[in-house]
Amino acid sequence: MQDNVLEMKGISIQFPGVRALDEVDFTLKKGEVHALLGENGAGKSTLIKCLTGVHHMDTGTILLDGAEIHPSSPQSAISMGISTVFQEINLCPNLTVAENIFIGRQPMTGPRIDWKTINRRARELMERMGMSIDVTRPLSYYSIAVQQMVSIARAVDIQAKVLILDEPTSSLDEHEVQRLFAVVRDLKTQGLGIIFITHFLDQVFEISDRITVLRNGRLVGEFLTNAITKLDLVTSMIGKDMNEIFNLKRAEQKEGAPTVFEAQHIGITGKVEDISLEVRQGELVGFAGLLGSGRTETAEMLFGVVRTQRGTIKKDGQTLTLREPLDAIMKKIAFCPEDRKRDGIIGDLSVRENIYLAVQAKRGFLKPMPRQEQRALAEKYIRLLSIATPDTEKKVSELSGGNQQKVILARWMATNPDVLILDEPTRGIDVGAKAEIQRLMLEMCEKDMAVIFISSELDEIIRCSNRIIVMRDCAKAAELDGECCEQSDILAIIANETPEVSA
Amino acid sequence: MLKAETKRQGLFSRLFNPKFVMVYATLGIFLVIYLFGALMYGSKGFTSIRTFTLMFIDNAYVGISAMGMTMVLITGGIDLSVAAVASLTGMFIAYGTSVLGLDPVACMVFSLLVGTGLGLLMGATIHCLNVPPFITTLTGMFLARGVCSLISRESISISHPTIDALAGWKIYLMRLVDGEWVKIKPVAYINFNVLLMIFMVIVGIVLLQWTRFGRNVYAIGGSEQSAKLMGLPVGRTKILVYGFNGFCSALAGIAYVLYVKSGWNLALAGGELDVISSAVIGGVLLTGGVGYPIGTLLGVMLKSTIPALITFNGNLNSWWAKIATGVLLLLFIVIQRIVVNYSARKKAK
Repeated sequence: MQDNVLEMKGISIQFPGVRALDEVDFTLKKGEVHALLGENGAGKSTLIKCLTGVHHMDTGTILLDGAEIHPSSPQSAISMGISTVFQEINLCPNLTVAENIFIGRQPMTGPRIDWKTINRRARELMERMGMSIDVTRPLSYYSIAVQQMVSIARAVDIQAKVLILDEPTSSLDEHEVQRLFAVVRDLKTQGLGIIFITHFLDQVFEISDRITVLRNGRLVGEFLTNAITKLDLVTSMIGKDMNEIFNLKRAEQKEGAPTVFEAQHIGITGKVEDISLEVRQGELVGFAGLLGSGRTETAEMLFGVVRTQRGTIKKDGQTLTLREPLDAIMKKIAFCPEDRKRDGIIGDLSVRENIYLAVQAKRGFLKPMPRQEQRALAEKYIRLLSIATPDTEKKVSELSGGNQQKVILARWMATNPDVLILDEPTRGIDVGAKAEIQRLMLEMCEKDMAVIFISSELDEIIRCSNRIIVMRDCAKAAELDGECCEQSDILAIIANETPEVSA
Repeated sequence: MLKAETKRQGLFSRLFNPKFVMVYATLGIFLVIYLFGALMYGSKGFTSIRTFTLMFIDNAYVGISAMGMTMVLITGGIDLSVAAVASLTGMFIAYGTSVLGLDPVACMVFSLLVGTGLGLLMGATIHCLNVPPFITTLTGMFLARGVCSLISRESISISHPTIDALAGWKIYLMRLVDGEWVKIKPVAYINFNVLLMIFMVIVGIVLLQWTRFGRNVYAIGGSEQSAKLMGLPVGRTKILVYGFNGFCSALAGIAYVLYVKSGWNLALAGGELDVISSAVIGGVLLTGGVGYPIGTLLGVMLKSTIPALITFNGNLNSWWAKIATGVLLLLFIVIQRIVVNYSARKKAK
């Protein structure tokens, strides 16, 4: 067909130990929005990086407007007319909006940069996108949404033929997404080919014309958006039936199981007021509530990250003094923090090192764990949690989000804790990995571990928890029975429609 | 509509644009200290133009080197080799003219080539081999100092007509009295070094403000990763920046030779820290991305008022200059943090 602006044929890339892309085909027509879908680690980013010259393909051809191209660097891809808007803003916060749009291609008068023209044209460009902002302000002055628009303005202004939007909506609210889509539709009518990558299926159905699905580095299929249902799409993405995945049963509540972990009236002035909770053996207690309602702070108190000012924490009936996380680790408490990139994994260390870290901390500095044992430990958990890694020595930063989360889980499971606190373990990972993490949590409950599970996603809290504690405004708002509670009950409490606390 | 409608910037918010606030702070503190000196020692001639120009003359070599350093710091790097390279330049010129009997101009050109070459080499090491700038330039510093000592371990004085002529050349500041130009009293003048420094400040401003190269320097300092993904020539720019800084170091060495008329292998020991602190006091952010040559110039001036004050006082130990500089540096780093935090908080709202 003549109107294909971009054709990628038989693209394969081999990374050490992993076949990242295996004979993938991808075509993009002029004036279409083509969604590229797949779970984390399916090869979406690799395909894009291959197109933008960050990675080099081993085999395959790329045709742009019918001519073969070999993008060797982001620079060369841009000069060919392939521009990318990344998920993270890839602009310079210290430069002005106008300069961010034009840097590298500044209009010149003689040997000098023509600042007047830059500022005027930048203002025009932004206005055309429906935003009248002061373009002479530093980029860091504006919100993420505006910055996202600026990067699109930059991408469009380089006379692009192909525009790649890599998760552009992940940090935008609904209103801003609509604004972005209006711009995308406008660009579409101008004949631009747009590749749209996202995790939000609703948005895919709203904006895209065609969908290509990748799984494990392979092409699953190409679909017309109006000829596929959402369920079929998800099934093709994860390769399993949705129902099978979500067929999880919450842990059976054992009668008369002893309370292993309890907190009485703990709090820190200004952060968390008076929280009491108790967790029994083999029980999963869910923490629901909005972001900033004090869920994370509570978890941090329970693990000794921050010291409590009031109240007592007891484990097996014994009062604990938690001065630092190590105290908690020694008492067989484990904690997976919210921000795994910042507080959880150590990206430059291998999977093995990340897994044995907490065990080593528990053994103490003077008793190093033999390497053989470390490896055996890592291999055991890689198998147990089916972590997708070629070997124990792979750097954790090179794994996908879901697998990184499993590595953290493995780290704490290896310490064989009695109490496991998980703060948003499923955030930012795809459907399949989410289901797997949930299954693992429930399995741990089966093994008599007490689990505290914090999540913003109510459906997974309800699906897994025996009891649910709802937080609101830095305080415990209610405690519900997980068996017989609906999403609407929790929402009502969060929204403060039923002020009384049911015990 | 996104929450980003044009707000007419008030004068206050313009003034407190983090972009310029550091330069204002430097200017403000400079004025305060200068005013203090004027009140205390005005009668002894602290406020005379002569004192003012002498401050320039005594620190011209620092200013020249600081222009190159400014650029390096804006990229987020650092260069510890500047003083050693300047000292090496001094040795080249001293040894070349006094011992080998070469033409001093040839020695200067040679030094500039060596300085630039060494800078380019360090830049290439930093970029291509991904060695941190601190380590690379520390190596460069040891290398240059080593060569200094290899050439001679004694101080070599220079006595050559060309050098004497260049060092002695001055423009007297004049005043029109009854239709006749006379030298102002007390006699004030600017010399070749001061002109060289002013020239380098202008070069710095033009490069950073009006060329793509200069803007790329800022972009790299803002976010090197982004600069790469925006398709900017990151490698070339970084290497050239270190090359330019090497050139500035050698030029500063030439200015220093003209100032002291000798070469010594241990000259300017610790001078790189003077240069770096001048730039930081002038508002160059050590984390990169922010800084202006004018700010750096103000930083050099501010730093040179303190020894001047101590000289005028007459009773204070000269080490007080170091202490005062330390306090100033601390003050400016604190101000920088406050500005950065302030703008971050503002954004969070």
